[in-house]
Amino acid sequence: MFTQFGATADSLSKASSLMFRIGTDAHLYDDPDDVNIAPLLDSKFDSEICEALKRLLALIAQGCNVSNFFPQVVKNVASQSMEVKKLVYLYLLHYAEKRPNEALLSINCFQKDLGDPNPLVRAWALRTMAGIRLHVIAPLVLVAVGKCARDPSVYVRKCAANALPKLHDLRLEENISTIEELVGILLNDNAPGVVGAAAAAFASICPNNFSLIAKNYRRLCETLPDVEEWGQIVLIGILIRYSIARYGLVKESLMVASHSLENSNSGKGGSETYFGIKERTNDIGSVVCESEIAEMVSRSYLEGPDKYLSRPCSERASSFKDLSDFTSAKSNDDVKILLQCTLPLLWSQNSAVVLAAAGVHWIMAPKEEIKRIVKPLLFLLRSSDASKYVVLCNIQVFAKAMPTLFVSHFEDFFVSSIDPYPVKALKLDILSLIATDSSISPIFNEFQDYIKDPDRRFAADAVAAIGLCAQRLPNIASICLEGLLVLTSSEISDVDIASMDEEAIILIQAIDSIKTIIKHEHSSHDKVIVHLARKLDSIQVPSARAMIIWMLGEYNSMGHIIPKVLPTVLKYLAWTFSSEALETKLQILNAMVKVLFHAEGEAVSTFKTLLNYVLELAKCDLNYDIRDRGRLLQKLLSHYIGTHELEESAPDSTLHVLTGHLFGREIKPIPSEPLAYRFYLPGSLSQMVLHAAPGYEPLPQPLSLICNDTTHEPNMVIGMKQPGNGATQSESYETDDADTVSGSLNEESTSGYNSQDSRTGSSGTHGSHRSGSVSDDDEHAGPLIHLSDSGNAHGNQLGPRFNLNSDSNYLGELMSIKSLESWLDDNPGSTNNSVELNNVCQSLARISIGDLSSRVKPKSYTLLDPANGNGLSVEYIFSSEVSSISPLFVCIQVIFSNNSVEAMPNIQLIEEDSGMRVESSDQVLTSDESSKMSVNDVSTLVPMEEITKLERGQVMQRTLQVRFHHHLLPLKLLLWCNGKKYPVKLRPDIGYFVKPLPMEINMFSIKESQLPGMFEYIRRCTFIDHIEELNKLESPLAKDNFLVICETLALKVLSNSNLFHLSVDMPVGTNLDDVSGLRLRFSGEILSNSIPCLITITVEGRCSEPLDTEVKVNCEETVFGLNFLNRVVNFLTEPARL
Amino acid sequence: MIDNGFPLTTEPNILREMIAPPNIVSKVLSVVTGNTSNMSNTLPGATGSCVPWRKTDLKHSSNEVYVDLVEEMDATINRDGVLVKCEICGEVQVNSHLSGLPDLTLSFANTSILNDVRFHPCVRLRPWESNQILSFVPPDGQFKLMSYRIKKLKSTPIYVKPQITSDSGTCRISLLVGIRNDPGKTIDDINVQFQLPPRVLSADLTSNYGTVNILSNKTCTWSIGRMPKDKTPSMTGTLVLETGVERLHVFPTFLVGFKIMGVALSGLKIEKLDFKNLPTRPYKGFRALTRAGQYEVRS
Repeated sequence: MFTQFGATADSLSKASSLMFRIGTDAHLYDDPDDVNIAPLLDSKFDSEICEALKRLLALIAQGCNVSNFFPQVVKNVASQSMEVKKLVYLYLLHYAEKRPNEALLSINCFQKDLGDPNPLVRAWALRTMAGIRLHVIAPLVLVAVGKCARDPSVYVRKCAANALPKLHDLRLEENISTIEELVGILLNDNAPGVVGAAAAAFASICPNNFSLIAKNYRRLCETLPDVEEWGQIVLIGILIRYSIARYGLVKESLMVASHSLENSNSGKGGSETYFGIKERTNDIGSVVCESEIAEMVSRSYLEGPDKYLSRPCSERASSFKDLSDFTSAKSNDDVKILLQCTLPLLWSQNSAVVLAAAGVHWIMAPKEEIKRIVKPLLFLLRSSDASKYVVLCNIQVFAKAMPTLFVSHFEDFFVSSIDPYPVKALKLDILSLIATDSSISPIFNEFQDYIKDPDRRFAADAVAAIGLCAQRLPNIASICLEGLLVLTSSEISDVDIASMDEEAIILIQAIDSIKTIIKHEHSSHDKVIVHLARKLDSIQVPSARAMIIWMLGEYNSMGHIIPKVLPTVLKYLAWTFSSEALETKLQILNAMVKVLFHAEGEAVSTFKTLLNYVLELAKCDLNYDIRDRGRLLQKLLSHYIGTHELEESAPDSTLHVLTGHLFGREIKPIPSEPLAYRFYLPGSLSQMVLHAAPGYEPLPQPLSLICNDTTHEPNMVIGMKQPGNGATQSESYETDDADTVSGSLNEESTSGYNSQDSRTGSSGTHGSHRSGSVSDDDEHAGPLIHLSDSGNAHGNQLGPRFNLNSDSNYLGELMSIKSLESWLDDNPGSTNNSVELNNVCQSLARISIGDLSSRVKPKSYTLLDPANGNGLSVEYIFSSEVSSISPLFVCIQVIFSNNSVEAMPNIQLIEEDSGMRVESSDQVLTSDESSKMSVNDVSTLVPMEEITKLERGQVMQRTLQVRFHHHLLPLKLLLWCNGKKYPVKLRPDIGYFVKPLPMEINMFSIKESQLPGMFEYIRRCTFIDHIEELNKLESPLAKDNFLVICETLALKVLSNSNLFHLSVDMPVGTNLDDVSGLRLRFSGEILSNSIPCLITITVEGRCSEPLDTEVKVNCEETVFGLNFLNRVVNFLTEPARL
Repeated sequence: MIDNGFPLTTEPNILREMIAPPNIVSKVLSVVTGNTSNMSNTLPGATGSCVPWRKTDLKHSSNEVYVDLVEEMDATINRDGVLVKCEICGEVQVNSHLSGLPDLTLSFANTSILNDVRFHPCVRLRPWESNQILSFVPPDGQFKLMSYRIKKLKSTPIYVKPQITSDSGTCRISLLVGIRNDPGKTIDDINVQFQLPPRVLSADLTSNYGTVNILSNKTCTWSIGRMPKDKTPSMTGTLVLETGVERLHVFPTFLVGFKIMGVALSGLKIEKLDFKNLPTRPYKGFRALTRAGQYEVRS
């Protein structure tokens, strides 16, 4: 009966727990392995695959290795179901690094997904692709990121920005400039969310590449309030570093003001109190003046405290003067705008943002205005304990350097009983820093309350804080002393043995505080010492006793009362000596000697007897330390105590001098020791832990950035502020770099820009945001579009096309869905092309250059240097011939020349060993067929005819047919010559992995339009060769400048790759100097699989200047196309050989 | 959502739309259909808008918005019974159920007392800078629009007077609670909490109103509830100290809790709430509430 009931209850509880879990996947975690996962993965139902994948992820979460399912999982990447896709991505992210070869199978799917109309799918694909960390696909990811950086969806662009640090982590040295360029593009984005992510990318990739910031500085400042919180924190850091590097420190700011104060002594209004304090603290001498700390803070920010503190003191002081030219927050607009834009962030809900903004004002704001950060900072104190601690740590630094800031807010630092101990301790410290004569009495009352706090450690700290306050404010020293004395007497009166440990620390601290106060002003406190000496009877704590005895000895001749009570006290001490603790005994010995040394009159003999008695006791002490001390003192003082004659006995002996130094020195005020605080930038982790945490960097050197491109800066800001005067602005845009602004970005950026404009603008019409944006557009359409398009430098030249573009911009903006579709159907590059092709007839002339083949000079590479080969030099040239054996072979002409004095027999070039091949075939990136062939096809080299004899000075040429397994890796060969072998490396040139593919221009454009999206790769570079060519011309009119440029470009391409030169589009403009719009087309097909490969080179710029060149490759083979593009860009940028 | 260690999306609205949190309806649906996915297949529209905290296409059958002023009073009364520190930390909490993309404007009658403020990201900062007006497009549901702090208040609504005398191994404790300044509304949930000092062996506490609880970790709670009309609540008792301890020299701190509905003690008043861009006039509701924050009385 009961068991039944029990069973029901059990099942009931099971059922109820089941109820909670219905509709969740929690059951999968119970035993993920309880079904056979493999068949589920191969199921044709998405739901089953889904479940299998969830089980796999559950297993991963439980720490099992399920990488053996990799092939089956990867297969599902092509699934149509979003959920399956997402789960596969998660799995891939976890295992791709371990199974790189199989992971490559999924790449094509990513490529496809990157063209998906759903932005979520594009974003996922990008995030996963960037996250799988394989070097081989890095170039692909780079292209994908570049593509997504111009995506119409904000979310995808944001993911692109997030992908950049992942790419950067792979350490691709050759791509670093491309990555940085992308960061620049994303920083220039109009969506605040993207800017935030781009800022994070900037900070982790190239934190010192300030030229990227220079272009957008003002716009970044303006967007700052709209960026999401996490981005704000990073962006603030970047902006302050930039403005320090660009403009240097602000001369009114605290960082500099403390110093200029000494130079000019022109204290400005509003800081009188500050100087007042400074002067007074200087009088005390040992208290460090705040301006010194302020300077130290600024030096530490700039150099890092370790470097700063390691320098000798004398250098430290002078080091600041060389930075003579500072900027001013009042006259420098850029600094002003940064301060203005960070000011509202002090109202942020995010504590870290407030702290970061406060940091900017702390460093940059004029000193009178720093107080604006105080209230927001103090508001942060009402948050979690952890953030309270962080804020207090930073306030502590601020209060050290500028106590006036917080003087009137002392109430905020009153300790609450629920604060954790570290917070309490920090608050006490700050309170003692900011106490002034006016605020000391409430603070002092608080301290007295704290002494009764149940947390005794904190109570001891409060006692110490009283001591510190007394040091800072000598006026209250006597009150403090009284309070402390009361404390000592009240504590001892009824302290029982059990609670001794806890109370002891307070007592010790109290006496320690008294000691420090007396140390600073010992003249008037003799009564205190006497009072303490009277307490010796009741104070039992050894270290407290030791301190009192030390004071007695040290100040034995002070005032009138001490000398009178000394004999009694010392007698008492001698009596208790044997029962004292170690430290007390040592202090008794020391004190006795000091007293004896200063004693006069009849007391001397009493003291001598006492000392002798104590020394005798010390000799037989159990502790060897005491025995040693006793013996030492006896030897030192032998002539004092042995002969009973004080003055006469050998006063000049070394012993006497030594004793005098040890015990008889004058009591001097302690010289202020150099400060050794460690200051790190506000809000940094290093400031918390007080050592440089990994990744910490001090501020950049002021004025280290020399910026000459001021034309960049008004980029968007002016448009934002005064959209009306676009006419005057357009001229400055003409010289603007167009490389950061691309067409597709502009197309959608205008809409984002508009909505942002209406948001940041203070107009109250924001409510009609969606519906109203149309009418808004009507007002602004003209200047805005003008603005965005004039970013493209060639826009102004071609009047008709410009209008057409702007129209389509405008329409696209109204019908954003349509523009999205058009982006997806065929990418903006190709739409532009088709538009241009139609327009070309009107504005461009198509010409064909005569046969250039005679002037093509293929580049030759060295295979063997005569220095290494005993005078044999071997060079090779990639030939444009097509191999007769197989299309996979590349023909190479090898030129042997004998530079030695003797003839060389038997020269042969063969492969190294065939063992290498298997290894290298692993890295083949090409499609499946070719990799299969590479395994089957053993030979990679058609051996050349042996050269039986090479006479001295003779040059011979042989043709070698080589099959490279990889476009990038060099082929290792062995050169036999005269029985000796030389290992040589034959470097492939991807430019010759293609053969010319003659075609018509119509064919070209059809093919081009068939290869959109991921099959299209674009890179930009600068071409300079033509300048030299132009200079060679005797007279400027001898040949058309445009023609020269065409020829140089075409020759350069044809000399470095095996392509067919199709056509040239030449601009027919009014301006004879502007070559923008010049376009060359080349075509070729890949040797191995006859896939066509189209190259378009578009030129912008002026004839006489370096040309901005855009190279576009359309090719189905993604990896090949990309590598090919890189090669083209490389040889275009490398200077011509003379 | 974190991507590569950097926050990708932290906006709750977007996250909720990407993966719907489970609720009864979805659970029932999943049981019926056997489909357990609550993942959205489309990108939330808010990711691209400039108001990421709001769904783009919200529809509510009843349009309503509630504004609550919730204030917490922090006060410290020292051992001499002097009010050392008294300040109010308040929040403006809004619960909005509005369709479309409304634009709200909230203004206060006495903005001059607002010095320290922090805002939800939706608040536009320029109108605040110029006119001290809160202009914002609200997120859907409950959110904290603004928090503020008003310092240096002069009085507290209730008083708590502890008296502790300690002699010869025992310690007598008495505690009085009463109304000092009647805020005009009833004061609810009054309670006093304190930690018995160390070295106390046992405690015997009685009160003439409410209940006293002593937990095993030496925390005492005296719950008074609503203030009685006829008498002043008091608690008295004796603490027996450990043997050998003559008297206490460490005294407890009393943490006081209370709640007053319908009053914002700081005196902050909402003047009006205006709507723009709304088809129908929504229902507006205002409430105020003050409760004790870190209200401590030392003894």
